[in-house]
Amino acid sequence: MGGSVKEAAPLPESAGVVIIGAGISGCSIAREVVKYTDDVVILDKETDVADETTKANNAEVHSGIGEKTGTLKQKLNVRGNRLYDEFVEGLGIELKRQGLLIVITPRTLPTSITRWLPKRVVRYVLERVVPRLIMRNGRKKGIPGQTVLTRQEIFDREPHVTRNAIAGVFDPTYGLVSPYKLAMALAENAIQNGARLFLETEVTGIKVEGGAVVSVVTNRGEIRAPIVVNAAGVFADKVADMAGAGGFEIHPRKGASLLFDRDITADYVHSSVAEFRMFHKGHSKGGGAMPTAEGNLQLGPTAIETGDRYDTSISAEEIEEIFDRFYYLLPDFPRSAIISAFSGIRAPTLDEDFIIEPSARTKGFVNVAGIQSPGLAAAPAIAEMVIGILHGLGVPDTRREDFDPVRPAPPRFTELTDEERDSLIEKDPDFGHIICRCETVTEAEVVNAIHGPIPAKNMDMVKRRTRVGMGRCQGGFCGFRCAEIIARERGIPITEVTKDGAGSWVFADETKHLLAEGDAGEAGQ
Amino acid sequence: MISKKKRTPQLAVIGGGPAGLGAALAASKAGIDDIVMIERDIELGGILPQCIHDGFGSKVFKEVLTGPQYAQRYIDEIARTNVEVLLNTMVLELASNRTITAVNSAEGMITIEPKAVVLAMGCRERSRHQVFIPGYRPAGVITAGAAQRDINIEGLMPGRKIVILGSGDIGLIMARRFTLEGAQVEGVYEIMDHPGGLPRNIVQCCYDYDIPLLLSHTVTFIHGKKRVEGVTVAHVDADLKAVKDTECFIDCDTLVLSVGLIPENEISKHAGVTLDPVTAGPIVDERMETTVDGIFACGNVVNVFDLVDYVTRTSEVAGRGAAEYVLAGRKREAPVRVLPGRNVKYVVPQFVSDLGRDIDFYFRVEHPERAVTARVLAGTSPVKSKKHKMVHPPEMLTATATAADIAEAAKAEGRQVDSLLVEVVDSGK
Ligand SMILES: Cc1cc2nc3c(=O)[nH]c(=O)nc-3n(C[C@H](O)[C@H](O)[C@H](O)COP(=O)(O)OP(=O)(O)OC[C@H]3O[C@@H](n4cnc5c(N)ncnc54)[C@H](O)[C@@H]3O)c2cc1C
Repeated sequence: MGGSVKEAAPLPESAGVVIIGAGISGCSIAREVVKYTDDVVILDKETDVADETTKANNAEVHSGIGEKTGTLKQKLNVRGNRLYDEFVEGLGIELKRQGLLIVITPRTLPTSITRWLPKRVVRYVLERVVPRLIMRNGRKKGIPGQTVLTRQEIFDREPHVTRNAIAGVFDPTYGLVSPYKLAMALAENAIQNGARLFLETEVTGIKVEGGAVVSVVTNRGEIRAPIVVNAAGVFADKVADMAGAGGFEIHPRKGASLLFDRDITADYVHSSVAEFRMFHKGHSKGGGAMPTAEGNLQLGPTAIETGDRYDTSISAEEIEEIFDRFYYLLPDFPRSAIISAFSGIRAPTLDEDFIIEPSARTKGFVNVAGIQSPGLAAAPAIAEMVIGILHGLGVPDTRREDFDPVRPAPPRFTELTDEERDSLIEKDPDFGHIICRCETVTEAEVVNAIHGPIPAKNMDMVKRRTRVGMGRCQGGFCGFRCAEIIARERGIPITEVTKDGAGSWVFADETKHLLAEGDAGEAGQ
Repeated sequence: MISKKKRTPQLAVIGGGPAGLGAALAASKAGIDDIVMIERDIELGGILPQCIHDGFGSKVFKEVLTGPQYAQRYIDEIARTNVEVLLNTMVLELASNRTITAVNSAEGMITIEPKAVVLAMGCRERSRHQVFIPGYRPAGVITAGAAQRDINIEGLMPGRKIVILGSGDIGLIMARRFTLEGAQVEGVYEIMDHPGGLPRNIVQCCYDYDIPLLLSHTVTFIHGKKRVEGVTVAHVDADLKAVKDTECFIDCDTLVLSVGLIPENEISKHAGVTLDPVTAGPIVDERMETTVDGIFACGNVVNVFDLVDYVTRTSEVAGRGAAEYVLAGRKREAPVRVLPGRNVKYVVPQFVSDLGRDIDFYFRVEHPERAVTARVLAGTSPVKSKKHKMVHPPEMLTATATAADIAEAAKAEGRQVDSLLVEVVDSGK
């Protein structure tokens, strides 16, 4: 058992279960299925797992307080949050329960309401009534452990929060997890237990006979399969339509976030911090300021409807909007410490809820669609729900005895003691060679990523696995070194190394060649 | 286990660029023979080996050298001393008691406990997001220094059709370099209303090659999902905000950024060294000693100099200062502050520990100005002054005050000097 993704390995002819999409949903489901059968194939059109929405979210394991009571996503969020510690066990992934501080400010109630009321009354409502409303709402949703904080208690916890704060509620169950690392670890553990992952494999059609799914057609061949799980994220409606199992529409909604230098903002906030705005328009949970799993601070996200499912751009207006929003909550914000901005696409349906169900029309086809936020937080519960459905469709329901839940995580230099470092360097001197100075990543870690269970083939894949180039210099120092190691390890010319797959070339050519081209051009004229 | 020897040299120099080389050499000449120099690259010289253009050494050697030539002079001299050079070695941490933790492949984890330390880590380039360029995140957005390295050291072309943002010296030099290599440079765009680089580079790198240099312009969007497919540029108003209806699209496959350098001080911060928010480098005194006793700093880690010659000069001061600290011990007296006055953005050193010495001042103006006098004052009494036909922010101005100059000014003041002021004023006044 075990194995790795071979370069352009041929697709198998058939599989018991095919999962379309290697985002957090597809990877969570794969790891759940592989506990019962190793006959599972995961397909993704991109060069890496987690390459779409999953890599571009805010890493928050929400408690579920922000979701509408009675929705599926609210239920799965609360359940997912509760399952999380167990879910990540053995994967070598850190889950931090940093909590959420909900801050009540004078802006919590819109002026359309407050302007009719005496100041004293407004103050009383904000200080006394609103925290209780939040608490009651949390209890109703099954969220444990919330506490009301006074103004002073807010500042004791989070000294940078605006002095306009009136009261707060602390929700200790909020967690943080690196979404792409988690997806990768889940996929790796599934692979280790016999699942097969095929990247750069786009599903272009699904064959249905006699009302049942029979095969999945891709750009690289066809796989027969009696069970197909549609976890295609922003494209889930298109994939469902291929199987005649659609009837819903995904309308992409972009979210942009800003990321800040860890050295400057490490202690800036300790938990996620959000301002509570009642009757505030917009479909994101309002966003907040939060540490990432790696200790950087992030601000965001925005919520903008976009027609383009690949629109991961970020506009000047969006950047300003984020700053404007958070200057109020965190007035002394170190704006110049920004090191990166990114955006991702949410995949809501018109009903704004998850769709997780076997298709009534196409037997063997299961939709996992509309997985917008809190898709990451709900992932364990989504996987739990889907495996229930799959048992009903014929996936064995006795657990494999040989299932190994432990994924061997590759060593990370920064996390080791000096003694551990020394003994590694002695075995492999590349562990003594720092490639990325901002994030302190060694050559050996890069080499391990390139030869890992899901081999890193390009610079972004190496970056996601090792953090090379993620620091404050954003690859200025290590970019070339990283490309050089990829070329060497993969036995390709450095001019063929890409940032993230076809078309994203890094070097145009060797020097002097352009001059030769120019001369030839002139001679020909 | 790899056999370990803890090093306890008299002096450790962190960084083997021109600053580190100059400091180690000066300390060695001042009588210290137990010096360790730590460099993370495979060779000494810092950024200089990739700077194959000329223009180095005009002040120090009164010659015009290329970067590699300039560096080689020091590397050869270092080879004749006892300085122990650790290449391929990364300093992970410097503690405030001056203990250094480093790592390399040959020895593994290394501990060094020197009597004094010279910080000479240089600077790094500002990246795309520090200047807020919206758009996509494709391949092909690269800093000018990285592009320079790709072409001059690795023999690789980062692109064919180039737009350069920022008219700092490296950006200007790369405009010429790309052109000489057969790439098409569409233009150099500068957000400020004055160029960021030295006048000679504007002439020799842009005008001589018919490369347009557009002031008060910036890039407002990066297009292309996989590789850069173009950029939108726009005129900016007096508040440096892009004017929407001046936006235009430029077809290119590469955006080269020359948007500033930042002293590299992560190690310094950890050691408790106080940084100047304006220079982003350590606050130093006239001997380039930081706020932590026995930790000195020089070159671009202190502030970004325009000429390597000044890097070398400050490094020699730091090297001699460190030697004196090690050999003679040294007590610092009550510090005298050095303050930036009219049209002066900052001054290095930021304070003086001993007025009884010659002091080199380095300072930059805030905005360009004609017919001015730059002067150092003690109270209201002039210590030193110099006339300039024209001053520009990129250009480093210097002044040297001898101990005698200062003593004289103090006498004229009739009291002890408690602060010095550096200002740039209209020569007419
Ligand atoms: C800005 C932002 C912030 C967010 N913050 C949070 C948060 O803090 N907490 C939280 O819980 N949630 C958050 N979310 C939501 C969360 O990111 C998503 O719910 C989650 O990532 C969805 O995962 P997925 O696997 O369903 O979809 P995806 O990650 O999009 O994965 C779908 C995969 O399917 C593949 N695919 C699509 N079509 C095909 C095809 N035809 N053939 C083959 N492969 C195909 C895609 O390439 C992709 O890899 C956020 C979302 C955004 C945009």
